[in-house]
Amino acid sequence: MAQTSASPDVATRALPATWTTNLHLSSDTGLLQEGLDALEGYRKKDPNKVVVRFRAIGNAPIMRQNFYKITVSNRFQAVIQFLRKELGWKAGEPLYTYINMAFSPAPDDTVSNLFKSFATDGHLIVNYSTTAAWG
Amino acid sequence: MSTYGARQAPSAFSTPASITLFRRLTWEGTVPLEIRVDAKELPANSDRGLECYFMQAPRVSYLPLLMPEIKRFLMDVVFDEAAGKMLKEEDWWFERDDGSLLKWHWPIGLLYDNSIISASIRLSPSPSSAMAQTVPLRLILHLASPPTDKLLLSPSADSCKQAFMGQLKEADFIRWGNTKRMTGLRKAEQDGIWEGIKERRLPVSIYLVGFTSNPTSPPTTDNFDDYWRVASKVTPTTSPTRSYSPPPPPSSASVHARPPSADPNAAAPDRDGAYSVRSVPVRIYLPEGPVLQDLVPPVLEDGGPHTLATFLSTHLPLLFPPERSPSSRTLAYPLVQGVLCPPEAEMAWLGACMAGADGWVNVCIGLSKQGVR
Repeated sequence: MAQTSASPDVATRALPATWTTNLHLSSDTGLLQEGLDALEGYRKKDPNKVVVRFRAIGNAPIMRQNFYKITVSNRFQAVIQFLRKELGWKAGEPLYTYINMAFSPAPDDTVSNLFKSFATDGHLIVNYSTTAAWG
Repeated sequence: MSTYGARQAPSAFSTPASITLFRRLTWEGTVPLEIRVDAKELPANSDRGLECYFMQAPRVSYLPLLMPEIKRFLMDVVFDEAAGKMLKEEDWWFERDDGSLLKWHWPIGLLYDNSIISASIRLSPSPSSAMAQTVPLRLILHLASPPTDKLLLSPSADSCKQAFMGQLKEADFIRWGNTKRMTGLRKAEQDGIWEGIKERRLPVSIYLVGFTSNPTSPPTTDNFDDYWRVASKVTPTTSPTRSYSPPPPPSSASVHARPPSADPNAAAPDRDGAYSVRSVPVRIYLPEGPVLQDLVPPVLEDGGPHTLATFLSTHLPLLFPPERSPSSRTLAYPLVQGVLCPPEAEMAWLGACMAGADGWVNVCIGLSKQGVR
C-alpha cells in the first residue's frame, strides 16, 4: 500500500500527529462503533428530488415532456434507463448521454453528485444523441 | 492570482522538481493482486494446484487491461487446452473475496484502497494488519454469468477507454467549467494518454532501453514522460514561482531545460495554475459506499488555501469534527493513492500531484480501530 508511493517522503518527514497518534495503541471497539455510527449518517438515502432536463442532439427524437423530477440518490444509470424507456428505445439501440454538452459521466455516479457539480440554473441538463457527439 | 499571494512561504513540495517527483510516484505506484479462479467454475482437467495468480498491478491501470496477462497464464498453466478454448473472455468478471463486485471502470489503485477501507470497518482478529503491512487484494475470477446490470460496463478495453476519456473530460469541466483543454487536444494526443495507461501494465523488465521515441530524453523504463507530455496540457501545476514573478520569456532554451510535466503554459501561467481552477476534481469514498462529490475550490473565501482538514470537516463533520478538543479521538483517516495524507495537504496540490491518470483525486476514508480517550 503506502510503501510503493510514499517511501521517499515518509522516511524524512514524520506524519502529523492528528491522524497517527492512536494507530499503534490498543484496539478499541468503542472507537470503531463511534466511527460506524458517524458513517451511518452518510449512508442515508437522500429523498430530495431535482429537476433533470433532457435535450435531444442531432437526429435524436424530441420528448414531449423534457423536465422530470428525479430522486437524487438515483445513479446516472437509472436516468439513462428512464430516458430509454421514455423514448421507447430497444435494448441494443445506441443512445449516448452527456452532461452540459461536454462529457459522459460514469453510470454509477449519483444524480446528487452530478447536480451539485454541474447544475445549470437549478437544472441538471442531460443531452442525448443516437451517435457519439462529445466522445 | 492575488489570493494565492496571501499564502505563507511556498512549500518545498510545490517546486517543479517535487511536483514531478510526486507525479512519478503516483504513476509508478503498484498494488499486489492475488487472482484465484472460482474453484466451482474451473473447467474439467484444470491443474487445480496452480489456479492462483499473483501480480503487481499499476495503480493507474484497469482490470480489463490486465486480462490478457491473466488469460495467458490461465491458458498456459491452468486450463486444459480443449476446455480453455470453450471459455468466453467476455463472460469473465471479478469479485472481491468478501463478495463485492469489482467495477471494470475503476482504477486498480482505487479498487485496492477501497478494499483497505472496507476492511477497516470490520472487527478483524488483528486490527492493525491492514495498515501495518501490504496484503494482496484477493480477487475471485468468475468464468461465467457476469452480473451485467451491476457491472454497468462491458469488460472490453474499448469501453474502458471510453469511460476513462469521460472521466478526464468531467475532471476538465470541474476545473474550468468547460472541456476546452481536453477537446483542444489532437486525436493522437487523446489516444496517446490512453496508450500510456495501457502500456503501463507491462512489467518494467519488458521495456527495452532506447525504445523511447524522443532521443533527447533519458532512457525511460515506463511511459511516464509520454503520458505527462500530453497530460500536462490539461492538468494544472502548483509551481510557486509563477505567482511572484512574471512568466519567463518564451525562449526555446528554457522550455527544453524543464521536464515535460513542469512545462509552463506560456501565455498566462497564473490563470492556468492549480490555485486558479474553479474546483479540484475530488471524490470521497466511504467504506462500502457512498461516493461523494462536490465543488472543491482551491482557495477559501479568506484567501487561504483549501486544506484536506478543512475539506474533510466540511463534508464529513461527523467523522472529522471541525472543533477538535485535545482529548477528542480520531475516528477516521484519509488515504490518497494509498498514502495517509497530512491534514495540511492542500487540495490544489493534491489535484496537481496526487490525482490518478484520469485527473481525479480519490480520497478513501477508513475508520480508526485503536485510540486513546
